[in-house]
Amino acid sequence: MSRLTLEQIVQSVQDLPSMPAVVMELLSSIEQDDIDISVLAKKVSYDQALTARTLRLANSSSYGLQVKVTTIQQAITYLGFQTTRNLITAAALTGCFPSGSCPGFNDKAFWRHSIATAACARALARRMRFNQDVAFTAGLLHDIGRLVLVSADPQAYAEVVALRAREDIEWQDAEGTVLGVDHVEAGVALAQQWNFSDTMRQAIAYHHAPDTVGAGFLAAIVHVANAIVHALDIAGEENERVPRIASIAWDAMGLNEEAYLHLFRETEVQFMEMSAVLMA
Amino acid sequence: MSAAIQLTPLRDACPGMVLSDVLLDPKGNVLLMQGVVLTEAMLASLARHGVESLPIFHAESESPEPAFDAQAVQARLDYLFRANVRDDHADWATGILRRYVEDYRLQRTVGA
Repeated sequence: MSRLTLEQIVQSVQDLPSMPAVVMELLSSIEQDDIDISVLAKKVSYDQALTARTLRLANSSSYGLQVKVTTIQQAITYLGFQTTRNLITAAALTGCFPSGSCPGFNDKAFWRHSIATAACARALARRMRFNQDVAFTAGLLHDIGRLVLVSADPQAYAEVVALRAREDIEWQDAEGTVLGVDHVEAGVALAQQWNFSDTMRQAIAYHHAPDTVGAGFLAAIVHVANAIVHALDIAGEENERVPRIASIAWDAMGLNEEAYLHLFRETEVQFMEMSAVLMA
Repeated sequence: MSAAIQLTPLRDACPGMVLSDVLLDPKGNVLLMQGVVLTEAMLASLARHGVESLPIFHAESESPEPAFDAQAVQARLDYLFRANVRDDHADWATGILRRYVEDYRLQRTVGA
């Protein structure tokens, strides 16, 4: 049996390589507005690869800039601090987990799903007048626990992949059966380790259970965005499957069909733009 | 669907045209699904992805085939939503998303 304990998970989180310190700082301060922008811009610019990815993302047509930005400081001037912070986070996260260690685990599909959920959550948040940047990051991070589990025990996760395919069950159930912990618990452990805000941690903890008391609105947004992205078949997984949507979360969006049809298109277009940069 | 898929150069593609097949980038990643109605933003983005030609349905072709294989699209949607039982009132939220995504993919007119 390959059971993982939360201690092992936390340990594997500590062993994760190459998450730039500045990104940890950004993640833990996502809802703070009193950060010294110039200091952060400077720190990010020391990391050339990260800067290059961030600027390519900023210059993609998703953000509709009329001029090309060439420095982080410039990106902040034109896009605002929150949005630039988002881009840095996305650029850093998609490059920080090792890939290919687990047979059967489709890294590409994982990131395609995460990036699309981020785009969809942002688009939903805009319609809800909710903080778009927080929604974007929550969408990007909602399944991050799966990567933690893959890193903690790649062989065991290969069994999860096989069981899930064989029995056509939800990831959470397959993970619980094989590992004894699921990606939600692992995601919460990571959120603690990396000092995510409470809102972000709750969104990760309740994105499959937005009807839990105290789950919060962000969890509902991510829950619906996740289902939409599965339904739009964006990840490119053969055995893709749309999970059941909690009616309380769907109700909370309060959108009509026309709004959803626009949202679907917006999600597809934004995904194309961002994946071109982040998955290059 | 006919077996031979005709490719249209990107410069000849216009907003409103419909993809007759799934569209991949040069690395084999899926960019757009079959049945998507192209928009100006998508065409601009495709150019940046290095896409040179697209599988586009031609309305003027002699066969009165639909713009895409609606049956195949429906079959894939049924597979994606296999956990949802149609008209299960307890699972109405998933049912509504299912209907909206069907309208979107199958290009049914909404509210007309």
